[in-house]
Amino acid sequence: MPQAVAFEGVEKRFGDVVALRGVSFDVQQGEVFGLLGPNGAGKTTLMRILMDILRADSGGVTLLGAPHRRQTLDRVGYLPEERGLYTKQPVLEVMTYFGSLKGLSRAEARRRGRVWLERIGLAETAAWRVERLSKGMSQKVQIAAALLHDPELCVLDEPSSGLDPVNVRLVDELIRERRAAGRTTILSTHQMSQVESLCDRVALIHHGRLMVYGGVNEVRERYSRPEVRVRAAGALPAVPGVEEVRPDGEAAWRLLLAERSRAADVLAALVSAGVRVEGFERVLTPMEDVFVRVVQEAGS
Amino acid sequence: MRWGKVRAVMVFELLSTVKSKSWLILTFGMPVFLLLYGIVVAIPGLVVASRARRTATHGVVDDARVLGSDELTPPAAELPPELRSALERTGRGGLFERSLSRAGVVKLRRFESREAATQALTRGEIASVLRLPPDYLATGVVERFSLDKPGVGGSDVRRVLAGALAERLIRGRLPPDLAVRVRTPIASTRDFVVTGSGAVRPSGALSRIARLLVPLLFAMLLLFSVLMTGGALVQATGIEKENKVAEVLLSSAAADEILMGKLLGAGTAGLLQITVWFSFAGASGSALAAQLASLGVAVPWGAIAVAFLFFPAAYLFFGSLMLGTGALGGNAKEANQLGMLWALLVVTPFPFVEALLSEPGGTLARVLTWLPFAAPITVVLRTAADPGAIAWWEIAGSFLVLVASTWLAVTLAARLFRVGLLLSGARPSLRALLRQARLG
Repeated sequence: MPQAVAFEGVEKRFGDVVALRGVSFDVQQGEVFGLLGPNGAGKTTLMRILMDILRADSGGVTLLGAPHRRQTLDRVGYLPEERGLYTKQPVLEVMTYFGSLKGLSRAEARRRGRVWLERIGLAETAAWRVERLSKGMSQKVQIAAALLHDPELCVLDEPSSGLDPVNVRLVDELIRERRAAGRTTILSTHQMSQVESLCDRVALIHHGRLMVYGGVNEVRERYSRPEVRVRAAGALPAVPGVEEVRPDGEAAWRLLLAERSRAADVLAALVSAGVRVEGFERVLTPMEDVFVRVVQEAGS
Repeated sequence: MRWGKVRAVMVFELLSTVKSKSWLILTFGMPVFLLLYGIVVAIPGLVVASRARRTATHGVVDDARVLGSDELTPPAAELPPELRSALERTGRGGLFERSLSRAGVVKLRRFESREAATQALTRGEIASVLRLPPDYLATGVVERFSLDKPGVGGSDVRRVLAGALAERLIRGRLPPDLAVRVRTPIASTRDFVVTGSGAVRPSGALSRIARLLVPLLFAMLLLFSVLMTGGALVQATGIEKENKVAEVLLSSAAADEILMGKLLGAGTAGLLQITVWFSFAGASGSALAAQLASLGVAVPWGAIAVAFLFFPAAYLFFGSLMLGTGALGGNAKEANQLGMLWALLVVTPFPFVEALLSEPGGTLARVLTWLPFAAPITVVLRTAADPGAIAWWEIAGSFLVLVASTWLAVTLAARLFRVGLLLSGARPSLRALLRQARLG
């Protein structure tokens, strides 16, 4: 799959503070990519470099298959963490302005603005001054403004923060629609459940260094113990290859596998022993645990 | 620079400015306010003028026996020939006579004795009594009697009586041509100017005023535009920072594109405002110039052309510097204070106006011509004062220096602007700023 973005050894310092230390990874076209890391890890700096707001001290960025150029940014949408709207302006006027900055004609930007306001359920606010909007409404308008020009790549920094569950679901839906349409999304979030449900791959940055990079399940697997969850009626007999058996709710157990034993062999042994297996699945470490473990290990 | 981006920013700035209440109130309210103010100020004057238009009769007691026995008629007012011919050329020859007919009339009534005159005064038949005492010819003193009421005036009747006295005193005693000169020693002034190159050319008083007014108007307009438009822009940028839209802007357009768009948008709004004001006044610059030209006044077209050439570059030069440094402010107030520092540079040539007008080809004038922040006003002033005192290559060179400086200013300001827009919290040190600006 072609690359939407490729960072190659990106370094950035602010005086004595090193923000990024040779970060390299790529984002493939059409995927939802999670950019993770604790506060102050360097995510915002990396996103600002991608958006040409900051320049890297060294290293390079390839954007949508070409060396980074200003013109290419018209095909990119951006929802920064530090965000806002012109409070004294009408909602539709602000959307029109942001659309026209991305190369749309004012008429087209206005038309799309109306369509998007309808899409996010705020059609009636078109003529309102931004200051009349609630925080959540304002956030939805900002997301819509970032997606107004249907960008091939969109960088969303904490798009769901401060939104109620209904609107979080709306944002998730918008991101999924983009993936279905072959559009790329870079999602920076601290909501690990959102990462698990939305992202195809992730990169975790800490202290300006790339700590973890890969597919979501692949990363979770990498940080998981060899453990399976079994649902079955009755008690479980002792089978080869299992070191420890722990109950995990009603009629369910967690089995910690011995080194070099395979899950398929354990399942076969259970069935051979006459156990009526109703469910058998690999237990993967939640992304939240991966995040905490990586950060804590780096700290120690 | 991508002009599509510049246009997008410009249109937004222009629309948001001209739709704002403050702009609308200032643009359309100012002429209405000035009109109302003019009416309020004019009322006392109109009242006084309507009183003055009434015919006033004054008594004259000639105890000096110098006025003779014929009718005391005031001498006719005369218009300087230069102005009369200018008015005739524009087909307004009758204007003076028409305005005279609306002016007040002073009549003199002869009384045989002071007592008779003062009785008429107390009866309200006359406004005052003027007595020429027997020793008038020796002393020149005239006695004036009026009612014990507060009031000023009396200059009209003194002028009328003085005219009548002069007429009687010289009648028959001087040859007619000499008598005319005694009555009006200076009929008019014919002015000439000697240019720096030694050429002599006629110059009327009106032309001189026009030549002084053009550069001063230009200077005031430039100062006004820079202070008002630049100030509004800097404040808007401060608000932009408070609204946290900087990152979205910078991810869509380069800092120099945003800066240029803002300058052009606000500049257009400012220009629109001035045009509206001129339209309300019914005297746009060109109409006024045409009027002056038709009156035979030598309009300094060269200086006006130079002003039109230098004005946009000067506005962009000062505006970009104001915007760049203003963006470093943490909030709208701080932004304004920082931006206004540059406005002080606009007025650099002002203390030297007299020296520049008296010596438009002097060393000071030549030096200021090459300094970008002083060049616009200096060049216009020099061209207006004496077109022969400034060479074409000086104008061209000065303009090129200004354009190059403007480009530099926009580039530098764009970097400061970008750094400034991204700043939050404490203001960075100068060293940190320079490093950021250098890195781009």
